[in-house]
Amino acid sequence: MDPAEVEFLAEKELITVVPKFSFDRIYLIGGDIGPFSAGLPIDVPLWLAVNLKQRQKCRIRPPEWMDREKLQGKKQEEMDSKFFIEMPNQHYMEITQLLLKYAPDDIPHADEMRTLIKDLWDLRMAKLRSSIDTFVRSDATHAKLNHLTLMELNTVRLFLTNSLDQLYVLRSNLSGKVQATQE
Amino acid sequence: MTMKASENYFDIDDILASNERIPCRVELPIYRLGYLDSSHESEHLLPGTKIEFPYWLGRAVCSRRRHIVRVDLPKQYREGYREILSADATVVDLHKLGPYYYSFGTKLLHFEHVASADIAKSMVKTFQTRFRKIMDSSQNAYNEDTSKLTEKLDEAERSLFRSGQFGLHDFQRWETRKTEKLTTSNMVRNHQKRKRNVMDSNVD
Amino acid sequence: MLAEKALELVRELERSIDGSLPPYNEDRVRQVLEEMRVLYEQNQKDVSATVAGESGLFSGVQVRHAALERNKRCLLAYLYNRIEQIKKMRWEFGSVLPTEVKYNLCEQEMQWFGRYNKLLANYMMSIGGSGGLDLTQDMKPPKTLYVEVRCLANHGEFETQDGNVIVLKKNSQHFLLRSECEHLIRQGILEHIVH
Repeated sequence: MDPAEVEFLAEKELITVVPKFSFDRIYLIGGDIGPFSAGLPIDVPLWLAVNLKQRQKCRIRPPEWMDREKLQGKKQEEMDSKFFIEMPNQHYMEITQLLLKYAPDDIPHADEMRTLIKDLWDLRMAKLRSSIDTFVRSDATHAKLNHLTLMELNTVRLFLTNSLDQLYVLRSNLSGKVQATQE
Repeated sequence: MTMKASENYFDIDDILASNERIPCRVELPIYRLGYLDSSHESEHLLPGTKIEFPYWLGRAVCSRRRHIVRVDLPKQYREGYREILSADATVVDLHKLGPYYYSFGTKLLHFEHVASADIAKSMVKTFQTRFRKIMDSSQNAYNEDTSKLTEKLDEAERSLFRSGQFGLHDFQRWETRKTEKLTTSNMVRNHQKRKRNVMDSNVD
Repeated sequence: MLAEKALELVRELERSIDGSLPPYNEDRVRQVLEEMRVLYEQNQKDVSATVAGESGLFSGVQVRHAALERNKRCLLAYLYNRIEQIKKMRWEFGSVLPTEVKYNLCEQEMQWFGRYNKLLANYMMSIGGSGGLDLTQDMKPPKTLYVEVRCLANHGEFETQDGNVIVLKKNSQHFLLRSECEHLIRQGILEHIVH
């Protein structure tokens, strides 16, 4: 998958906005949205939130987890844990990226959020690489990794599957059974 | 290249890997094909002649059913080299021993040599030992010349490196919001580049 | 060594990694076929001689047979991988190939490209309702309906869907429907401007 496609999926996540306009309910393939009343918070998909924000038709409320203390806590938890901890949202990376790009004025301490999320990402990717290495070196045939997010998996997908393909061939050699061949 | 469990008939890398040479010794006379041995000028290949055959040919004339030639292990799979690899595989220039070290090694197992089991073990171990370095360098090298990082990797490892780079580049492009921009397709861009180069060299 | 020329064909493809297609090597293909003819005839002769009672010819037959199979594999891989590349070109260059690229295709490959083009066009017309569906567009999720573009080359007049005619002059900027101009961006005529 291209990261742009992962982002597309993330854009279905609901975000609270405070509209600056009033409008009737709108009927979309993905579900009905609205009605909008100026000043009254309402949940809309991220793509719409960004679109409204770009046209200065709303203010965005940062998701609850996008908070200095909470993220610092998560970061500590991630450092202390041997395993992957559960992220507050499956699409934490994409949502942060989009909100910080299009609505930085609505996010308190935007720069710090950026750093914290990036730290979390780096910690988790380093952990992922160690897990992959441990798995490849072991003689295990399966491994269970909980709480990885789609974007994280997507970044290593091709590398991981390619590695396991190669390892599978080399391991099959050990059985002494000669593999099918063309020539 | 990828070492897939089932070989692909049309796979370019597999064709190249199956061209690697194997030392052979002729056991039954092969009439009128003496020209295959460029070091002698005899009409026939006679028993006792030592000759190197590409894998695809060795495979056809040496099997459980046929013993037209006897094949030997290429030196890079013999015990001496296996010992070097088991001492510290991470420093070995596998491309020099390869370039299709794993893939050719896997093919060699067909000959059921006495050392086959040891070769198979050595390859798994070698791959596992070198893995971390390949993964880390492929996930860290961004926008730099990677030829230095891959020069000692065998072709399968290079393909692994490229997969890692692919994931990293895609992610970095997304992170810097480059995915939003529609771009010229790769083939068109390369085509224009080549055209410009031709025009420039015509001017010179 | 036997089948060496056939291997050269495969190497030619291996070297063209940047997506360019080397010229179809008609001469070498002919040389490979000639080698195969000679091998085949020699084998027929040896088989007849064996039937007539001569012995010891089997080893040679085996070697030549393996070489025939090897030549066949290389030739087919050469053609197959070229076709794969040509198929990819349809998606990258569009339905019309640049002249310099066309030069490198043999006649059968040109025919194949034409037929693939037609097949794809028919399929795209048959799906997605009355107007069909252009599968070569929106390869990534589109963000906006309209995009801002700058002309990288003089392309002449361009008629938009609503009937307006604009002139695509080098360095001029336009605000166009994404669906109308995505192909021109892919072909390097327009540049997408993002802020």
